[in-house]
Amino acid sequence: MADFRTSTQRERWIFQPHDLMERWAAANQRAVQTLAQYGTTRLSVDLLDGSVSYPEPAPDHVEGSSGIKPLSYEEEQLTRVFYEQKIQEVCAAFKFPHKIQATAIIYFKRFYLQWSVMEHHPKHIMLTCVYASCKVEENHVSAEELGKGIQQDHQIILNNEMILLKTLDFDLIVYAPYRSIEGFIDDLEDFCRVGNGPFQRLKELRQAAVSHVDKMMLTDAPLLYTPGQLALAALHKSNDLLRVVNFERYLETIFSRQHSDCPVEQFVQSINTINYLVDQLNIPTVKDLRHVDRKLKHCWDPSSHDEHKKKEKKSKHKSKRTSTDAQLNS
Amino acid sequence: MGDGRAGGANRPAWLQQYELIGKIGEGTYGLVFLARLKPSHPAPGRRGPPIAIKKFKQSKEGDGVSPTAIREIMLLREINHENVVKLVNVHINHADMSLYLAFDYAEHDLYEIIRHHREKLSSSINPYTVKSLLWQLLNGLNYLHSNWIIHRDLKPSNILVMGEGDEHGIIKIADFGLARIYQAPLKPLCDNGVVVTIWYRAPELLLGGKHYTSAVDMWAVGCIFAELLTLKPLFQGVEAKNTPNPFQLDQLDKIFKVLGHPTVEKWPTLANLPWWQNDQQHIQGHKYDNPGLHNIVHLPPKSPAFDLLSKMLEYDPRKRITAAQALEHEYFRMEPLPGRNALLPSQPGEKIVPYPVRPVDTTTDFEGTTSLQPTQPPSGNAPPGGQSVARPMPRQMPQQPMVGGMPRVAAGANMAAFNAASQAGMAGLNPGNIPMQRGAGGQSHPHQLRRKADQGMGMQNPGYPQQKRRF
Repeated sequence: MADFRTSTQRERWIFQPHDLMERWAAANQRAVQTLAQYGTTRLSVDLLDGSVSYPEPAPDHVEGSSGIKPLSYEEEQLTRVFYEQKIQEVCAAFKFPHKIQATAIIYFKRFYLQWSVMEHHPKHIMLTCVYASCKVEENHVSAEELGKGIQQDHQIILNNEMILLKTLDFDLIVYAPYRSIEGFIDDLEDFCRVGNGPFQRLKELRQAAVSHVDKMMLTDAPLLYTPGQLALAALHKSNDLLRVVNFERYLETIFSRQHSDCPVEQFVQSINTINYLVDQLNIPTVKDLRHVDRKLKHCWDPSSHDEHKKKEKKSKHKSKRTSTDAQLNS
Repeated sequence: MGDGRAGGANRPAWLQQYELIGKIGEGTYGLVFLARLKPSHPAPGRRGPPIAIKKFKQSKEGDGVSPTAIREIMLLREINHENVVKLVNVHINHADMSLYLAFDYAEHDLYEIIRHHREKLSSSINPYTVKSLLWQLLNGLNYLHSNWIIHRDLKPSNILVMGEGDEHGIIKIADFGLARIYQAPLKPLCDNGVVVTIWYRAPELLLGGKHYTSAVDMWAVGCIFAELLTLKPLFQGVEAKNTPNPFQLDQLDKIFKVLGHPTVEKWPTLANLPWWQNDQQHIQGHKYDNPGLHNIVHLPPKSPAFDLLSKMLEYDPRKRITAAQALEHEYFRMEPLPGRNALLPSQPGEKIVPYPVRPVDTTTDFEGTTSLQPTQPPSGNAPPGGQSVARPMPRQMPQQPMVGGMPRVAAGANMAAFNAASQAGMAGLNPGNIPMQRGAGGQSHPHQLRRKADQGMGMQNPGYPQQKRRF
């Protein structure tokens, strides 16, 4: 579908910053409450009607008594970035076309606008996003093949496919900035040929912009701006470094052609905001995530928390029972 | 686990909003049901709007949701046009991971309309109706093409016509299971299987061309235009089925007989097409000299209708008329002017043609299992007598074409012309020559999907300029 203007992406999946924050906060809050109420956050999907149900409370669970701590809003954010970058790693390992990772990341972002990472495990959703993206982008890979390639149980992918599609509301056609870059590079070629720069260096510019967009995909920018804006921001930034063309002048020519209702200044501002988001990007390492990951594991599987506690206790040889332990040991 | 058997108490919630009427179609992709949306405030005599529900079979074991279903849904989610079917809802049956697509129901389709005129009325379709149908078809296609979507499987049974109601006589292009987005020139589209019923397949594809363009749809429109005029498929070739993507010599021969042989002079890129080079003897050997298209369609060679038709059946895809150009053609500017309700009588006071309603098989439930599972009760809507279980469905809808009704079947079995055959398999393609649906032929219907007036169950994409010119 080549018409972004009438696309579901433009109509339903481009947000204002406060929309995003509200959604993330709401999902986080819901999971926090679930944890307090049931002692775990893991949701199960009813196979009959597809409804998502809350966990069975542990028989001896006392509301609010769990010693398991939920992930904070910021920790969720960190987790998402970590797994988005994992999507890029997985797709690179499989040597998938670039478009696949972009689509998968957008699916992942959209999914976690509605769910907390405590509710659906990001590792599972990440793989499912890659799988769905392959299907949509006509680069079909079987779940088994995908699972094998990264030593994961492919059943996880199949189990989550429907909840993913449903959460995305079947809006599966995604516009990524990569194609827009191609378009602008074509256009820049003409711009250069009339004496505005060495068009031989455009290839260099394109490559720089593409890797800039790779980083951009890990920020909130794809949920806030159109692919065209993202592409221009990437080209702008890359041109700042490479100095291939006079970019301000190029922007003016685009705008003079487009009789757009948005003034150039506003556009330049959005470019700056996008690039600011990229500058602020902090990709967590495995080590950074270790603490969060442990918390996540406990949210999912309270018994792992028990084990953890037991070990702790044994090592300390303490016999004093806390209210939490009463529940854990019974 | 519970699989939502009709009538069962454990039917999924989504299913309970519908009152199942019966099965109306079947294909390699799955089944199509007619249902009514239960009114939100039930009252005696009040009936909800009819909905066609297309159930996709699960794809290959262990590979999740059917890619065909995903493709169809994702395209339909992005498009919104009066002449394209409207997807009103998508339901998921988690028990077997199948998808149910709910469309507005359309009572008629071009296949049935043409057949009714040919077999029951023995009279041609009035010129106003032909022109209106064609105009709307082009209007919908122009919308798709300008959104870079090629349908690839246009044929009369995929072109639905709304029954009585607000949208009476409006065309809806349906079945996007084979449709593709093309992003020319960056990503040329290469075929991965046999596509499009051969009778409506463009010559460049028959000659082995791999690159799809929107021109393949225009060729199909030309074939459909001729069929609306004569009530017979224009090029009824016998399909070769021996290999995965065989050379369809007979189909080409049928085309050459009517249009004459293509030449490199008139169609320069012809020389690059694989079969042109491989099979010189048959294709290049000028067997037929007298193009006789006007005789077949009974149109004066100088008439605008004939001019438009011959521009749609132009050999060179690059010279073939586009949907946008066709809409501007003189044919549409002369009386009778095309209208929004194609089924209106042509003269005031004349009677409206009473097209038959779609036959419904009321013995099959949403799972489509009744005919196979003798112990299973039929849906709650089945008429008395529907209880007799293992009763073979076929004869319930005697006029229906056969299931595996590919053209070759018809030819092989020596059946009457187009009757049993023209559907060429509702699925359009049957890649590995997989045996079609369960059971003997004759069990099912060639139709794909249906729709009816606007429901607003979400999923619209408002704001797209409705092109209502000239209506």
